[in-house]
Amino acid sequence: MTTMPCLVLAGHIPALPAVVSAEQLSRILQSLERNLLTPIPLCFLLGIICTRIHGGIKIPKELYLSIAIFLLMSIGFIGGHELAHEYQMHGVATIWKPALVTLFLGCVTPITSFLVLRYLGGLSVADSAGIAAHYGSTSAVTYAVANSFVEQTQHPANSFLPTLVTILECPGIAIALVLGAALSARERAARAAAVGQPVRESKLGEALYEVVTGQSIMLMAGLLVIGFVSTLFMDPKGFQPFFDFFQSKGMLFRGCLCIFLLEMGLVAGERLSDLVRVGPFLVAFGILMPLLHGFFGVYLGHLAGLNLGGCTVLGAIVASASYIAAPPAVRLTLPEANPTLSITAALAITFPFNIAFGIPIYFEMAKWIGAV
Amino acid sequence: MQLYALKLVTVVGETVVMEDIAKEGLKLGASGYTLSEVVGQGSRSARNVIVTGASRTTKCEFVVPTDVAEKILTYVSHTYFEHYAVIAWVADVHVMRGAAYVAG
Repeated sequence: MTTMPCLVLAGHIPALPAVVSAEQLSRILQSLERNLLTPIPLCFLLGIICTRIHGGIKIPKELYLSIAIFLLMSIGFIGGHELAHEYQMHGVATIWKPALVTLFLGCVTPITSFLVLRYLGGLSVADSAGIAAHYGSTSAVTYAVANSFVEQTQHPANSFLPTLVTILECPGIAIALVLGAALSARERAARAAAVGQPVRESKLGEALYEVVTGQSIMLMAGLLVIGFVSTLFMDPKGFQPFFDFFQSKGMLFRGCLCIFLLEMGLVAGERLSDLVRVGPFLVAFGILMPLLHGFFGVYLGHLAGLNLGGCTVLGAIVASASYIAAPPAVRLTLPEANPTLSITAALAITFPFNIAFGIPIYFEMAKWIGAV
Repeated sequence: MQLYALKLVTVVGETVVMEDIAKEGLKLGASGYTLSEVVGQGSRSARNVIVTGASRTTKCEFVVPTDVAEKILTYVSHTYFEHYAVIAWVADVHVMRGAAYVAG
């Protein structure tokens, strides 16, 4: 593992004015082209187009839910298997720094999001905290797409990245909700007193329990443990069929991802009309905040010793916003937050941005920083 | 055939709060409830999205005596109407085996 002190590393980074030279711009454009003209983003685009022209694609709900389960189980299982190999070869030496960095990022991103939304955007405490909870958490599908992208570019990410996805899922939601619940408690008490009703009890504990025991964490973390334990203790021949099913040379996974992204495109297409309602600030936030968080992820990932693919994927998952785990938790804890704002920002702005443009940009950022 | 006059309370709204409403209904005197997932559109926008749990819609039905129906409607309106996409109504129904709908 390459561990460079911060100051030495800082010397490798070009000065800011040189950020977008003509050559770098053309590299970014090439990366974008390489990413955009592949089946996964194109399926997403097809979904959007289909919704907008009232086309006839309809993914059965049960298929969509089954694919979501397969993707989460596959990410967890293969991640646990690779983690076991990493552990057998290096112990925890290569893992602890990226894990710590990911936890740190999971704690910082909801706070930066909240501050920007509240003080630059002038949104209410509940809306700011609600949206911050979405941006503090992560999207497993963005991880899957980013991972496919770096594999396609022949720069596979470090094997333990799925572990980092599970680490990133919870803290961001928890911090934003605690922040929002604490700051809005006084407002809520005043409002309740004004109308002469008792203060509604906070559902914070219940919401956090729902997040931790929700489908994405239970399946991904559960299968991670199962993959890890069975790799260490099972006879390799007996283990192979399980590995073949979940890995299937990436074929089943990528095919499922195409179907999933088609459905996501259908949903995002419906949400596009809400863009007018959320206003230009939130549209800008949904694009610029991921770029900033993505840069943090790429840079700190590099400091923690991740490879080029690893930095890219960490950047993408830090930049992504949750649209599965966060929304119910926010609805329970901060009912006065407008769900249209947070779901539209996460699903109709940030998710498409990351899939189409963000991931290649994080890849170029990682190259620029000097990740190998 | 002996039929008994009771009230059918129907609450439709965000899935995220519907289990709470069902449980509270039992506490308020209902002997049971029926939950079903539905789709539709209301004044707080379309609620057909299945990707995010927060956007799903559930219908909760209780068959109860009049006093319990009033308690459930009061609870739902005070607790959820302000911030959640929830609607509720009551209708007259005639059921067989009336005793089955009285908790206790």
